[in-house]
Amino acid sequence: MISSAGIVATDVTRRFASATATLPPGALIKDGYFTLFESVGALEIMDPKMDSGCLAPGESLDEDYDVTRPLLPSEVLGIIDQLLCLEMAWHLGYPLSQTLFTNVYIEAMLNPYPTTIQEADFIRPRSGEPKAPRDPMFSVLRAYCLGLLKACWYVNERIKFEHFYEEEDFVTNTYRRSLLDDIDRDEIRDEIMAARTLVHNIRHEISDDMAQALGFRLELRTAFLRAIELSELRSNPDSLSLPWVQMKALWDPIYKSRHLGTPVPEAFSTKIQRKLASTMPPRPIVQLSFEETYGHFKKLFNDGIDVLKVLSYSDSQSLLNFVLAFQAQKPQPLVYIRTLLQNFLFKDMIILGHLSIRHVIDDDLAIVVMPHSTLLDKSHDSVELPHDPRFAIAHQMELFRQRAAQSYLDIFRALCQNRCRVRRTFCHSIQDWETVQMDAEEIDQLLQIQLDEKPMAYKTSPMTSSDGTGASDPPAYSLPLSSWAYLYKLKLMEWIVQLGFELETYHPDELAGMYWYLSYLAKTRAQHVERIKAFTMQRLNEVRVGTNGGVRNDNRSGGFLTPQAEAQFTRSLSYLRATILDAAVTWELADALSYLYTVLQREGLVAPPPRPYSTDELRYDIRMKPFAPIGLPELPAYESFVRAATQPESGTAELLEYAARAVVGARKGLEVLSKLSEKEAFAVGGYKRWSDGVKRCMRTGIDAGISIERVRAAFAARAKAGGGEGGKGKLALKVEVPKPEKAYHEWWIVPKVEVIDVEK
Amino acid sequence: MAALPGELKYIQYEHSLESVYLPAIRALISKDLSEPYSIYVYRYFLYQWGHLCYMALNPSDSSLVGVIICKLEAHASHSPPTMRGYIAMLAVSATYRGHGVATALVKKAIDAMTHRNADEVVLETEETNIPAMRLYERLGFLRSKKLHRYYLNGNSAYRLVLLLKQIDPDAATDLSLDEVDTGPS
Repeated sequence: MISSAGIVATDVTRRFASATATLPPGALIKDGYFTLFESVGALEIMDPKMDSGCLAPGESLDEDYDVTRPLLPSEVLGIIDQLLCLEMAWHLGYPLSQTLFTNVYIEAMLNPYPTTIQEADFIRPRSGEPKAPRDPMFSVLRAYCLGLLKACWYVNERIKFEHFYEEEDFVTNTYRRSLLDDIDRDEIRDEIMAARTLVHNIRHEISDDMAQALGFRLELRTAFLRAIELSELRSNPDSLSLPWVQMKALWDPIYKSRHLGTPVPEAFSTKIQRKLASTMPPRPIVQLSFEETYGHFKKLFNDGIDVLKVLSYSDSQSLLNFVLAFQAQKPQPLVYIRTLLQNFLFKDMIILGHLSIRHVIDDDLAIVVMPHSTLLDKSHDSVELPHDPRFAIAHQMELFRQRAAQSYLDIFRALCQNRCRVRRTFCHSIQDWETVQMDAEEIDQLLQIQLDEKPMAYKTSPMTSSDGTGASDPPAYSLPLSSWAYLYKLKLMEWIVQLGFELETYHPDELAGMYWYLSYLAKTRAQHVERIKAFTMQRLNEVRVGTNGGVRNDNRSGGFLTPQAEAQFTRSLSYLRATILDAAVTWELADALSYLYTVLQREGLVAPPPRPYSTDELRYDIRMKPFAPIGLPELPAYESFVRAATQPESGTAELLEYAARAVVGARKGLEVLSKLSEKEAFAVGGYKRWSDGVKRCMRTGIDAGISIERVRAAFAARAKAGGGEGGKGKLALKVEVPKPEKAYHEWWIVPKVEVIDVEK
Repeated sequence: MAALPGELKYIQYEHSLESVYLPAIRALISKDLSEPYSIYVYRYFLYQWGHLCYMALNPSDSSLVGVIICKLEAHASHSPPTMRGYIAMLAVSATYRGHGVATALVKKAIDAMTHRNADEVVLETEETNIPAMRLYERLGFLRSKKLHRYYLNGNSAYRLVLLLKQIDPDAATDLSLDEVDTGPS
């Protein structure tokens, strides 16, 4: 019992025992703060799955493996290859305790805490003793482990520094073990170098093949450290990619030489977990096969080379497209690569290592809504007269940037997360962008006074207007800043729906409705971009003829289109055209699938479950919850949604005709898109991946066309056999809704329609 | 798949049954788990919401065939708070699967929660657990979001939601899909 002058101990055992005696077993006495979380954290002593100290009869607490026992070269190779598998398992999101920290050599190296390179050894020299000559195989294994652990330290630090989800994406816990934090990477590199020389010198004793196999693995460690070191520079991608290219080149020979290794399973033990700072009882080692490991590392090296390409900035929209397409890869790049991308993008608030946030935002504003605009004129910053409109413009624009910068950068940051989180984060972002848009509109109104802007009447394009005629709207102001914000909000809303398809969130009987909603959003976007384009065209004309109003003394409103101004307008109009095209393709494909699913549902080929506890309307509430708070575009009322998803006014043949026409429209649009250059597509630096995406959509179109034709044929055949459109009986078709990963594009779930032979 | 031993008995749990059934409940549920729950997790639910726990019993010997464990409380991250039911655990003995025992248990739990004024019922299920998702979706649950690597084995989960009452569009200000959930399922 603790005794001290300040403590008066009272033995409450008896009182406690008598109090508990009045309770039945299992009664829970708890305060309001005892939550499920606490109860999950509770342990049961002497349950081997919960009590980390609980031993089976005869079981020893510690591993009795002798790290000083001699090792054959093949055993060192076997251990290294096992470590590669564990390293990858860690990258994939499993904790160190179940991966690298199960290795006895690593444990001996890290415990006790090594502060010098000499101490970082699984056979520690006793102080004062002269360094005894040691087995070269120990030096090889040690050098490998040094390089491995230091790389893990850098990876762990990188990930911790960026935005990620602990335990979901990655476990950064090191259980109070060091990952050679204090040891300099150059010292480690020297050790690896020395080991490589050593291997080379004994190549005749251990065979050339073995020497080479060990050499490659040591080289891999050097290259990994070098790749990490270079990535801190954020400079020219080509020079940074060298070590990644080297690792990629080493990887196949490493894989092919794996048969030279002999596994040493006894050098790995779950018992080591008991010594780590954790209350978790030992959990099994996460065992990836070397084949799986091979695939993951190969992808890591390729992504490592690829991600560097983000550093060559061309324009803000190419940057966005790069991040979008890079993160949409299946499987997604590993979290280390994803945090590396974040680091390149955002470190020290300097974009890609050399651009200010203002530069990127202004670039984006110039592309999307205000090419060659006096609003973006940097010279206004130096105007000091408060009454000068240029002073007011500079001030208002700065207010806007401060308001919008975070939301804008958050899109990039969100895209670097795992796909589930991207969707969930965007569900929040749209509310944020709703207010950005409102705040921007206020600033727009102040700016239009400074610019003395005249409202303009413009015609909505007949293609996208709701009544199909192209109604003339009342004269309106351009509202460039809020237009910019609205466009992002619409894109985010589309992405949320599209990620819903990708993540298999929708039940097959929801697809008709969700594709309709996607089409609705894409049409709204197209209309909005048409509006932006109309104002941009008007401004271009004004600049051409020299009637461009606005700020006096503005040398830009001189009336002649300078080559530089023309280039800005051309770039912006090219962006607007590409965006309208993209929106058109999206709504056409979405319409086609929506009509097709509507028909399949009518025919009972995609059947809803019985759902006795739910109503269609309540499910609509749940499904559309993220969009409900958005004022513009307003969430369609449940009744209009149902009408759109079921199309009660249209006959089935008619719907199939619409679907077929929509596919033709989409394919035409995709044809044009596919011919865009990397500049026109705003995919500089990521063109291959972008055009691959377009190709996959083209295949989707072909696929959808085939499915539609099959349904049409079956429908016509039945009509012929049984008296017109209302012909009875089930269509002789089998329909399968594929999983997203089986579709040509995860966002386009085309039903597989197969004709079944009714004769059989 | 064995035939059911006649008409199963469905009974509501109560604390007095702990010594008889808790060991069997734990055994049945841990079979499908890589990580066992401590007895406190079971007691956390059973002691507070025993009335939302149902057991399916073999009529011949009253042995446990299936069990469902739930809770129901005000969910704070919403304003106004909703009464949120949560299906924490559901298990049916492997021998008696395919006879609708799980569906019957879930229905009883939903009925009990509805009776106690639940606005919604939620749960998480492993993405690979197709039978479970089919079961819940047949009753009216919808996948609201996917949770990346939700389980210790590295598998992702889906959050399934069954809305029982209309959300008041004027009252709710936080309509986000997010909240912190650490619950097992």
